[in-house]
Amino acid sequence: MAVASETQSVEKILEIKNLKTSFFSDEGEVRAVDDVSFNVFKGRTLGIVGESGCGKSVTSLSIMRLIPDPPGRIVGGEILYQGKDLLKLDLASMRAIRGNKISMIFQEPMTSLNPVFTIGNQIREAIGLHQNLSRKDIQDKAVEMIQLVGIPSPEKRVSDYPHQLSGGMRQRVMIAMALSCNPHVLIADEPTTALDVTIQAQILELLQKLQQKVGMGLILITHDLGVVSEVADEVVVMYAGRVVEQGSVAEIFKHPKMPYTRGLLNSIPTLSKDPTGKIKKKRLETIPGIVPNMLHLPQGCRFQDRCTYVLDSCREREPELRIIAQDSEMPHAIRCARDI
Amino acid sequence: MLPYIFRKLLSTIPTLFGVALIVFILFNMVGGDPTYQMLGRHANAKQVEELRHEYGFDQPKYIQFGQYLKQIITFDYGRSYATKQPINQMIKDGIGPSLSLMIPSFFITTLLAVSLGLLVAYFRGKWIDKLVVILSVFGMSVSMLAYILFGQYFLAYKLGWFPISGYETAWPDRLQYLLMPMIIFVVVSLGYDVRFYRTAILEETSQDYVRTARAKGLTESRIFFKHVLKNSMIPILTNIVIEIPLLILGAFLLESFFGIPGLGSITIDAVHNSDFPVIKAMTTLDAILFILGNLATDIMYTLVDPRVSLK
Amino acid sequence: MTTQVAAVEVIRVVSSEKAVRGRSLWRDAFYRLKKDRIAIFCLSVVGLYSLIALAAKFGWIASPWDKVVGAPYLAPSLDSIELFLGTDIFGRSVFYKVIQGTRIAMSVGLVSSLISIPIGVFFGALAGYFRGWVDDLIVWFYTTVSSIPNIMLLIAIAFIMGKGITSIYVALGITAWVSLARVIRGEFIKHKSREYVLAAESLGAGHASRIFKHILPNVSHFIIINLSIQFMSAIKSEVILSFLGLGVQGQPSWGVMIDDARLELSRGVWWQLAGATVAMFFVVLAFNILGDSLRDSLDPKIK
Repeated sequence: MAVASETQSVEKILEIKNLKTSFFSDEGEVRAVDDVSFNVFKGRTLGIVGESGCGKSVTSLSIMRLIPDPPGRIVGGEILYQGKDLLKLDLASMRAIRGNKISMIFQEPMTSLNPVFTIGNQIREAIGLHQNLSRKDIQDKAVEMIQLVGIPSPEKRVSDYPHQLSGGMRQRVMIAMALSCNPHVLIADEPTTALDVTIQAQILELLQKLQQKVGMGLILITHDLGVVSEVADEVVVMYAGRVVEQGSVAEIFKHPKMPYTRGLLNSIPTLSKDPTGKIKKKRLETIPGIVPNMLHLPQGCRFQDRCTYVLDSCREREPELRIIAQDSEMPHAIRCARDI
Repeated sequence: MLPYIFRKLLSTIPTLFGVALIVFILFNMVGGDPTYQMLGRHANAKQVEELRHEYGFDQPKYIQFGQYLKQIITFDYGRSYATKQPINQMIKDGIGPSLSLMIPSFFITTLLAVSLGLLVAYFRGKWIDKLVVILSVFGMSVSMLAYILFGQYFLAYKLGWFPISGYETAWPDRLQYLLMPMIIFVVVSLGYDVRFYRTAILEETSQDYVRTARAKGLTESRIFFKHVLKNSMIPILTNIVIEIPLLILGAFLLESFFGIPGLGSITIDAVHNSDFPVIKAMTTLDAILFILGNLATDIMYTLVDPRVSLK
Repeated sequence: MTTQVAAVEVIRVVSSEKAVRGRSLWRDAFYRLKKDRIAIFCLSVVGLYSLIALAAKFGWIASPWDKVVGAPYLAPSLDSIELFLGTDIFGRSVFYKVIQGTRIAMSVGLVSSLISIPIGVFFGALAGYFRGWVDDLIVWFYTTVSSIPNIMLLIAIAFIMGKGITSIYVALGITAWVSLARVIRGEFIKHKSREYVLAAESLGAGHASRIFKHILPNVSHFIIINLSIQFMSAIKSEVILSFLGLGVQGQPSWGVMIDDARLELSRGVWWQLAGATVAMFFVVLAFNILGDSLRDSLDPKIK
C-alpha cells in the first residue's frame, strides 16, 4: 500500500497530540496513556504495537471518546480531525462522528454484536443513524455491505442472529457495520486476536482490500509485529503508556533502535533461508522481566529494569522522544538515551 | 419453536412426579398416621378406624401413592376434613379472589420495579440511584407483617382511607377491598425487585455489544431502551419465576389479614384446623402453579432471546 | 466480557504487583472489607445481636422474662430497664421479650444454617464434580424441592413434625439448601477443569482429595456469602411461621409478639409491635448489607 502513496503528498486525516488518559482508583492515578502523539494518513495503515496494558487500546478508545468514566478520563491533549479538536466537541457532535467518520472494530467478535437483534438490524441501525436514506435504501445498503465483506448469500444472512455465525463471520459483520458509512478512519483494535490463524489472514486481507477501495486511514492495534510488517505503513511502539519508538515500517523493521522494539522483533519466530538454501534456525528471544506497576512507575526510563543496555542516566531522567531520521512522513523517533 | 415448547412440556413431568413423591413422603410416611393429627389426642379407636378407612390410610403405601397421583391427574382431592366440602370446589371458589388480588399486584410490582430499575441504572452513581438503593435495602428489611399492621391500623383504621377488611364479589366494589392489600404487596416486593433489576440491567450495560453500540454513534437513551432493555428481559423473566413463591406467601398473609376468601385464607384455616387433606392439596396445587409459571417463562424466553430454542 | 477492556488491562497490570506480593484471596477480601466502613458497622451489629442472644441464652440478661413487672399494658417509660418498652397484657416486660426474641431469632438463623449448609455443599459438590447421572439426579431433586413454594414446604414440615422450635430449625434447614447447592454445583463445574485440579489429578489425588482438599477451599467463600443471606431469610421466615402459629410455643419470639400486636393496636398499644419490628429491622438490614459487601469483596467482578 505504501508504494502508491510515496509519489504523491499524503494527507493527514487524524492528528493525535500529547494525548493523556488516566484511570483513577482508590490506590491512585494510573496514567494509561501518557503524552502520546502521532498522525494518521489518508489511505495508509498505522500499526500500534505493544504488550497488554501498554495503553494501545486506551489510546484507541480515547480517539472515539469511549473511555468509561469513571474510572477513566482523558486529562489532556488534542485529537484533531479536519481541523477540529474531537476532545472539545459536545456529545451530540461526537456521536455524529462515531461510526460515521471514525469507526471502530473490536477484539471480541463473539460478544461485540448484540445477541438479540439480527445482524441486518444492527447494520441498518448504523446506516439509518448517519445517512438520510429511505427504508428500502437502508435495507439495500445493508445487504450490499454484507456482500462487500464477503459473506455468502447476503439476502438470507441479513436476517440471521449473531449466534448463527462463526467468529470470523461475526468479525466480517462488525467490519460491514463499521464501514457502512464510508468512514475516513477505521480503528481496528486487535481485530484478529480471537480468531483462528487462517481466518486472521482472511480478515486482514479483507481490511486491506476495503481500505484501498474506500481510501480510509486505518489504525491497526495489535501485539503481533508480524501482522504489522505485512499490513502497516507506519508503526508506533508503545510501552507503559509511552511511545518508545515510531517510524515507517520499512525503517523500524530494518533499523530498530530502541532495545524494547528489538526485543519485540527478536521474539517473533521467523524462518529464513541461508544462501545455501537451508532453513536457518534462530533462537527465539524473550524480554526478561515484567511490565512495571503503573501506579508506581520507576524514576527515569520506564523500560530500565528490563533493558540490557541500561545506563545510570536512564535511572535518573526519562529520555525525550527524539527524531533520529527524517526519512518519511513519520520520522523515525526513539525514546532512548543510547545510540545503538 | 414448537419442538422447544414440547421439550419443555415433557421436562415438567419428572418434576411433577418428584413433587408428588416428596409431598406423599412428607404427608403419608414421615408424618406418621395423619389421623391422629386430624382427630387430636383424645380420639377413640373406632373414630380412628373409620377415618383411616375413609381416607384410605389403611391401604398399602403404594396404593395410597397411586390414589394420590390419580387425585392430581383428575384434579379431585376428595373432601376437606374440617368442612366436609369437596376440596376442588373450595379451590374453585378460592381461586377467583386470590387471582384478582395477586395478578394486578404482580403486574403493578413488575412494571414499577422494572421502570425504577431502568431509571436508576440510567442514572447510576447519581443521587437518585443512591437514594433508591438505600430505600430499597431499608424496605427489604422491614417484615411484611409490619407493613400489613401499619396499613391496617393507620391507613384503614385511623385515617379511614380503606376498609379495614372484607370482600365483595361484585366487581367495582371488589376493588375497594383489594386496593390496600395490593399497595402493601407492591411496597413489600419493590425493594428486592428494584435492586435485582438494577443489578441485572447494570450487568448488561457493561457488555461488549454496548460498547459497539456507542462506537456506532447511538445516543445513550437509544442504547438503553433498545439494546440493553431487550437483553435485560432475560434476567427479568427469570426473576418473575422467583417471584411466584413470594406471591403465594403474600396471598397467605394478605388474604388472612384482610378477610379475602382466597386460597391463602383456605390454607391458613386448614393449618389452624389441622385439615390434612386440604394442606396436602394446597401444597400440590401451589407446586403445580409454580411449575406452570416456570413453563410459561421458558416459553416467553423464546420471544426475547433468539438463542433459546436451540439450547 | 466488559466494555472496559482497557480499564481491565490497566487494572490487571496494577494488580500484578499484588500477585507478586502473594496476597491470598481471603486476605485480599479482608483488606477490601476492612475499608468498607458500612460493612464493618453491619458486622458489629450482627456481633452485638449474637452477644445479646448468648447472654440471654445463659440467663445473664432479661431473665426471667415472664416475671410480672407492672400493670398490664404499661406504656414505655424510662423509669427502669424493664419498663423501657412497656409491658404486655400480663404485665411482663416487653424489652425482656424483645431480647429473648433475639435469642430465638439468632438461634433459628444459626441452627438452620448448620443444617442447610452441609446439605447444600454436599449435593452441590457431588453434582458439579461427578456430573452424569449423579448430576441429573441431584438437579432433579433440588428442582423438585424448589418447585414446592417455600412457605408451603415450611407449613407442611412444621405441620407434620408438630409445632415448636425444633420443627422450625428443621423446616428452614431442609428448605434452604437449594440455592447454595446451585451455586456450589456451578462453581465445581468451573473449577473441575482448571489446571490446578488437573495437576492434582495427575499427581494422583483421588476424588475425595480433589473435592475437599483442592476445589472446596476455592469455592468456600460462596458459603460465607450464602450464610449471611440464609441467616436473614431464616429470621424473616421464623417470624412468619411463629405468626402463623406454627413456630415457637410458650416463648417470646418476634413473630408471636407481632401476632399479639394485631389485637393490641386498636387499644393504642404499639410497643410490642414496635419493639419486635425495630429489633428485627436492624438485624435484617445488617445481614442484607453485609451479604452485599461480602459478595463484593469475596466475589469481585470489575464493574
